[in-house]
Amino acid sequence: MLTRWNTGWSDFDEMFAAMNQLRTYMDRLFEEAWGGRLFGDRPQLYGAGTWPRANLIDTGSSLVLTAEVPGLSDKDIQITLNQEVLTLSGERKVQVPEGYSVHRQERPAVRFSRSFALPCRVDADRTTATVKNGILTVTLEKAADVMPRRIAVKAST
Amino acid sequence: MSRETGIVKSEPQPMAQSAERPAVAPPCDIYENADEILVVADVPGAVPETIEINLDKNELSITARRELPAVEGSLLAAEHRDRDFRRRFAVPGGIDANRITADLRDGVLTLHLPKSEALKPRQIAVRAG
Repeated sequence: MLTRWNTGWSDFDEMFAAMNQLRTYMDRLFEEAWGGRLFGDRPQLYGAGTWPRANLIDTGSSLVLTAEVPGLSDKDIQITLNQEVLTLSGERKVQVPEGYSVHRQERPAVRFSRSFALPCRVDADRTTATVKNGILTVTLEKAADVMPRRIAVKAST
Repeated sequence: MSRETGIVKSEPQPMAQSAERPAVAPPCDIYENADEILVVADVPGAVPETIEINLDKNELSITARRELPAVEGSLLAAEHRDRDFRRRFAVPGGIDANRITADLRDGVLTLHLPKSEALKPRQIAVRAG
């Protein structure tokens, strides 16, 4: 599914972005307002639903995407950049350790593919990604021609 | 001009403040074999120094404080924020608390709770009479 974020860059994207926003708010409401215990005593587990959860930060010269990918190492995550669409994909396998019986299994085994419409063009060659302690950080440097440029004003004589 | 409105001004009641930081329940897997109980929890962003594991009588509690990578800038979308992880389980008695080990790898916490000798299954030999 393509995630569009409401960044004010495009009117067309706004409706999709608004729906995403609503879903995010609802997730948060369930998670926090009732302490995750809306339905009976069973806690609403963190990490259920959208996978992986991601943040997008605009630092001015770059866009930084952080995502929660517990259990995945660098080899398990594929990142592709196609024009302004960033796609994260991969698979997390959950295996019962040999010789153990199962009491409870809440950690989902997921095969995921998530695409994000970025608010501007980025330089694919200068994009870096690291994963540490289950947090993936993708740093996308903005393309040179979308950066703000200072226009010198010359006095006309 | 004075008018009785019947509306009484009341001081705003302070919301119940929790001393603890907001926390969410991490998803956990629980496995068992003859020697130990194995707890596996997803705690992305937690570092070993901030994870607290307590076994108090029959209650196991796991708390992991986490800080997401600090990036200066405007947040365009936020699906995850700084939230601690907290979870409590009732565990059967007979866990050897001194030998509990835990390791953290790629944001996944694995907790080994070894059973004490008394709790381990025993083979009973049958003798022919």
